[in-house]
Amino acid sequence: MPPILSRISVTDMHPNLLEITDLRTHFFTEQGVVPAVDGVSLQVKRGGTLGVLGESGCGKSVTGFSILRLVRPPGEIVGGAIRYYGRETVNGEDLTALDARSEELRQLRGAEIAMIFQEPMTSLDPLFTVGNQIMEAILYHQDVSKAEAGKIAVEMLDKVRMPQPADVIKQYPHQLSGGMRQRVMIAMALSCEPQLLIADEPTTALDVTTEAQILELMRELQDELGMAIMFITHDLGVIAEMAEEVAVMYLGKVVEQSDIQSLFADPQHPYTRALMQSIPKIGQKTDGRLEAIRGMVPSPRSIPTGCPFHPRCASFIADVCNVRAPRLQETKRGHSVSCFLYEDGGGVNEA
Amino acid sequence: MKPDGAKVVLEVQNLKKYYPISAGLLRREVGQVKAVDDISFSIPPRMTLGLVGESGCGKTTAAHTIMRGLEPTSGKVIFHHQQLGAIDLATADRDTLFQARRNMQMVFQDPQSSLNPRMTLLDIIGEPLEIYNIAKGSELVDRVAQLLKRVGLRPEYMRRFPHAFSGGQRQRIGIARALALNPQFIVADEPTSALDVSIQAQTLNLLQDLQDEFSLSYLFIAHDLSVVEHISDFVAVMYVGKIVERADTRRLYHAPKHPYTEALLSSIPRPDPAIQKKRVAIRGELPNPANPPKGCAFHPRCPYAEAICREEEPPLQEIESGHVAACHFADRLALRGVNEF
Repeated sequence: MPPILSRISVTDMHPNLLEITDLRTHFFTEQGVVPAVDGVSLQVKRGGTLGVLGESGCGKSVTGFSILRLVRPPGEIVGGAIRYYGRETVNGEDLTALDARSEELRQLRGAEIAMIFQEPMTSLDPLFTVGNQIMEAILYHQDVSKAEAGKIAVEMLDKVRMPQPADVIKQYPHQLSGGMRQRVMIAMALSCEPQLLIADEPTTALDVTTEAQILELMRELQDELGMAIMFITHDLGVIAEMAEEVAVMYLGKVVEQSDIQSLFADPQHPYTRALMQSIPKIGQKTDGRLEAIRGMVPSPRSIPTGCPFHPRCASFIADVCNVRAPRLQETKRGHSVSCFLYEDGGGVNEA
Repeated sequence: MKPDGAKVVLEVQNLKKYYPISAGLLRREVGQVKAVDDISFSIPPRMTLGLVGESGCGKTTAAHTIMRGLEPTSGKVIFHHQQLGAIDLATADRDTLFQARRNMQMVFQDPQSSLNPRMTLLDIIGEPLEIYNIAKGSELVDRVAQLLKRVGLRPEYMRRFPHAFSGGQRQRIGIARALALNPQFIVADEPTSALDVSIQAQTLNLLQDLQDEFSLSYLFIAHDLSVVEHISDFVAVMYVGKIVERADTRRLYHAPKHPYTEALLSSIPRPDPAIQKKRVAIRGELPNPANPPKGCAFHPRCPYAEAICREEEPPLQEIESGHVAACHFADRLALRGVNEF
């Protein structure tokens, strides 16, 4: 049986595929508690693309791992809910309530929610052929024979525009280039037609011409298969190209959330604005210096009080930002920001 | 002023670095990987040449061969040393190289692996000063303190080890070490690629400030085209061991003459959702440098390739003054610049 796009009646479906509410994933290390994800709320629309933007240590990857319940000790989900409105779980089962080793979750992983990573070589087993690895997921989730699974694997490789898929299937990962390995990962992730693909920096390790090919491939496959994508990246260019909605993260928190047009046309959080100003704009060479953000991302073991960005912020308000934590509030339709500059009664009218 | 009044700091002429491919029981040489294949360029004082290309194109091998960390197969690397005059690094003897290297330094991509974890900052930054007998004892400590301050680190930290510092700080340590001998010329190999976006800008600003302050010339190697545009006065594009285009930064980005440059510019994800890009469709992947395509190495991926491209390798020729490209159709193609996609 070839994979058939499951045609679900859209009428009575929840508009969101995934709703994360106040998620807290903390790591209990010997040096103290690291609140890697600390009160994150996100929504992924059915068939839509949510971009999660942030620098290293902001908690964007841990958020992705939390959804699949792949956070290992000393990490633990200590609060919040992850509601998933999928094929089997139409009423929005809370994934945090499931046992990470349960059969239910195993059925979701791969079949409903799949993930791809930055460095495909670390996710592929060097001892097995590409075909073997793609077939493993198909045989686990679908009731097909080995020969049929092999056929599906070739079809999937063909779908990700792999040249000579019937030959590639017999090859080992080291025989492929970085771009080809990422195509294999995508083929593997999509082999069971998931509803949600979590893509964690999938093009960061690739060269720029290969990156462009993979991004285009992902867009085409999304149109074709109708899946939703949660696209995790640090790259403002990649996010602008791929996402419809964006959440900007800093030190375990979402500091700004908006549709992509509004975020770039009217960035509101001082961190978002500073990030956009700090990158060199291609095609607009000036002799001047870049507008750097001062300081560096603090250690997650000693997160600043109040707003976590305040020690680096250009609009820092003394006795406010370092004392109280701002809340994520809507400043205009579909655009929320967590900053006292925009908060009612924040004591300033600068906004 | 330089004693020989040179208008350039570094001249690379027809530099080649080939590696043998051996096979069989007797390890006979059956072929060559032309990692760097006949590249030429020069860098004027206080200027930056950006060297761009995708992984495996030979840009790092070129840098190491220029510094004579690798033995060149052939070619010249003329370094106009402030005191010693012109030196061909490719053939210089040990003593001359030792003297020349005082004036040329390197900054690496990964400050994690390029700093010795068992050495303190004082040892790391002070080492070149000791090797060249420039300072020792309290003088050395003072000099290291100055250098740390100059790159924005606290001198109090000089007895700590690299692991106590973040990636951005470690890169500053690497820069301080490179500056210790007051060099004329620095090769920076992907110095910001491992850094976060907010730290990248600080590091680029620091490199630019130091260039002005110490009259440095840079060979800046990177794959990020927006970073290279920002920092470079001139840019050379490499593909499978060869320079395929070289020009001043403005012309290379706004009026490219080689289809590969156009393809690179077209591939960059732009941080602006309003841009509806019309990409140049570029097929396939980088060829294996051990077995590059016949004719022009880019022809299997080139949207403009014709019969001649499959047969004859195009020479690198001057299209306009100061703008060279290796394409049979460089003077005929109307290629798009970075803002035209």
